[in-house]
Amino acid sequence: MPLLPHQKRYTARVFAAGAAALGLTLATACGEPPGEGTAGEGGDTAGLSDDPAFVWAVTGADRAIHEEVARLWNEENPDQQVDIFFLAPTADEQRQAMFQDLQNQAGEFDVLGLDVIWTGEFAEYGYIESLEDLRGEVEGVSLEGAVDSAQWQQELYALPYSSNGAFLYYRTDLVEEPPTTWEELYDTGTAAAEEAGISAYVGQGDQYEGFVVNFLELYWSAGGQLFDDAQERSTFLEGDAATTALDFMTRAYETGFYADGFDTMVEDDARALFQAGEAVYMRNWPYAIPLLQGEGDEESAVVDDFAVAPLPTFGGEGTTSALGGLNNAVSTLSDSKELAREFVLWAATDPEAQDVLMRNSLPPTMLSAYENTEDPDFQMLGDILAQAEARPPVPGYNSLSLAVQDHLHPAFRGQAEPQPALEAVDQAANDALEQE
Amino acid sequence: MATTQTVRVGRGLGERAMGRVFLAPSFAFMAVIALFPVFYAIGRSLYDIQGFRQEFTGIDNYVRVLTDPGFLNAVWNTLVFTVASVSLEFVIGMAFALIMNQAFVGRGLTRAVILIPWVIPTAVAAQVWRFMFDRNPGFVNAVLGTDINWLRDPFWSMVGVVSADVWKTAPFVALLLLAGLQTIPKDYYEAARVDGANALQRFWSVTLPLLRPAIVVALLFRTVEAMRMFDFAYVFTGYSNSLATLSVYAQRYLVREPDLGYANALSTVTFVIVMLVGLAFISRMGRHMIGDVARKEKR
Repeated sequence: MPLLPHQKRYTARVFAAGAAALGLTLATACGEPPGEGTAGEGGDTAGLSDDPAFVWAVTGADRAIHEEVARLWNEENPDQQVDIFFLAPTADEQRQAMFQDLQNQAGEFDVLGLDVIWTGEFAEYGYIESLEDLRGEVEGVSLEGAVDSAQWQQELYALPYSSNGAFLYYRTDLVEEPPTTWEELYDTGTAAAEEAGISAYVGQGDQYEGFVVNFLELYWSAGGQLFDDAQERSTFLEGDAATTALDFMTRAYETGFYADGFDTMVEDDARALFQAGEAVYMRNWPYAIPLLQGEGDEESAVVDDFAVAPLPTFGGEGTTSALGGLNNAVSTLSDSKELAREFVLWAATDPEAQDVLMRNSLPPTMLSAYENTEDPDFQMLGDILAQAEARPPVPGYNSLSLAVQDHLHPAFRGQAEPQPALEAVDQAANDALEQE
Repeated sequence: MATTQTVRVGRGLGERAMGRVFLAPSFAFMAVIALFPVFYAIGRSLYDIQGFRQEFTGIDNYVRVLTDPGFLNAVWNTLVFTVASVSLEFVIGMAFALIMNQAFVGRGLTRAVILIPWVIPTAVAAQVWRFMFDRNPGFVNAVLGTDINWLRDPFWSMVGVVSADVWKTAPFVALLLLAGLQTIPKDYYEAARVDGANALQRFWSVTLPLLRPAIVVALLFRTVEAMRMFDFAYVFTGYSNSLATLSVYAQRYLVREPDLGYANALSTVTFVIVMLVGLAFISRMGRHMIGDVARKEKR
């Protein structure tokens, strides 16, 4: 290369441009994450008390509801007030924030609001206290599935707080009676969709936890159970439930019963399509009801044309929903464990506290709340939740869930062989029982 | 390295010592924010960590990394993505740079417009592209008249991520190359013209050789960035193996399926791979640039 007089300056210039560009990239990459408003989506205490005796870490979703519950406690216990630390609204970030608090021995949080599937993991890691001696207080008082989700290896580690269950939303102008079997759902949906020129079914088909839930609801309603009663080995492949469920999904995908884009759809995508009048059926949580009734900011095309029903089963008997919601647990690092236990018990069994949830359309876990409500949808939800299945809160649930996503998602899209995929899930279920 | 060399070239010893004094705070700062986390991560990667229980397991995590099909899959995805996106970005960025280097009416506006994709934060751009690629409502399919499952078909989702990344970063490459182009004196082109070289020959024999340092810098930045790409892959397909890059795969064990020791081993291996590639570039770049300086010195 010929030697040029300006070579050095030239190199420096290129470097400067590159460095400036890199600096800008870093600045944008490290900026505020999009969509996280300053309105407190998470990551700060709520300032509910000047002198809080303990801190409750809970999701930033449904923020106002949790605040109302905490205020109620503070009114009743002015000497031992609680403050809330709001975590991010998404499950992964919540778990990560709690892990950081615990793993680094910070111990800022006394009460942990845990997703129903985390019990085994937190218990196994030594993050939460056993609450086995409080079992008598919640058994027969709280939803059975919610209590199931709060225990690991027959020991209670958390108490129920809120719940969630699935409805089958259907179009009353297109379908006369809600179906009771999946076959009937398929047939009526296909026919009505063809006639109206819209899609038959929307739900949660993206490769995430929602897909696992949608699959398990089919699986359970075909009589399947992931584990034996002692939670010692996988029974995923026993009977033909796994094949039945996967076959149904594969066929629904192939024949276009599932709407276009089902394989990338999450809760709110499904809700938006159904709300626009683009689908006959939808599987979704209760939160969509007020939105579909036109009470949100978005217009609804189905205000008077929809109703909810329990999800169908393969046999036509009963209904099977996956159970969602939160349980409260006591952190092993808490320095006010007695108080934290009191609060956890109060949130689970105080009728007034549970009524706060009910009034705000967040499903409570106390059975009596459903007996006293006059809202027919919530009465139905009470029935659904009484029959709902808890996803097994085994320590390796996250790995199991990822295995279901990794293997069954390509399988139902016809890109992987079904049998090896199901066997891989069975293997993952066994692995999920034991920590490595 | 290049900086210390330059300092030694023109100045006396006293100033060199002074330079070290001035550099010390920034070096200390770098050590705290950059080196400490790296060594801490390497330390953690030697443990099996399950909640409060942890156990020293030596290189077990590294053995597991090298035999993990998920990791090898992530390496493959990362390589495919890096090679495809960096080559396309280079070709398109070069074209942009050549256009922007010409004198024509509206040149300033063109430069500004071309840079727009690059100033949009990647996470935001990724969400927008995901929405456009989604089959429902299906903007991209409508425009192309296709019916492709852009987000879930392993091949097409890679095509989608590469196109989105090219759209986003080709302007960055163009910017770097343009800076290089503007330092090439016009005399050379005139001389080449007098000698009867046509446009292609001028590009090949004048532009490319003189642009070489800028090209190496652009390729270095892009390759290293592409190898640790996270945003597009995560937004498009989450933790799905079909598109998981090295960063996404490490994140999976850090957050989604927590296994901190293993996650740190994955990060360390990723770091080593990226560093080796970076060093390979820098050593090539260094030879040319430092070589030139040294030759000048001898003379």
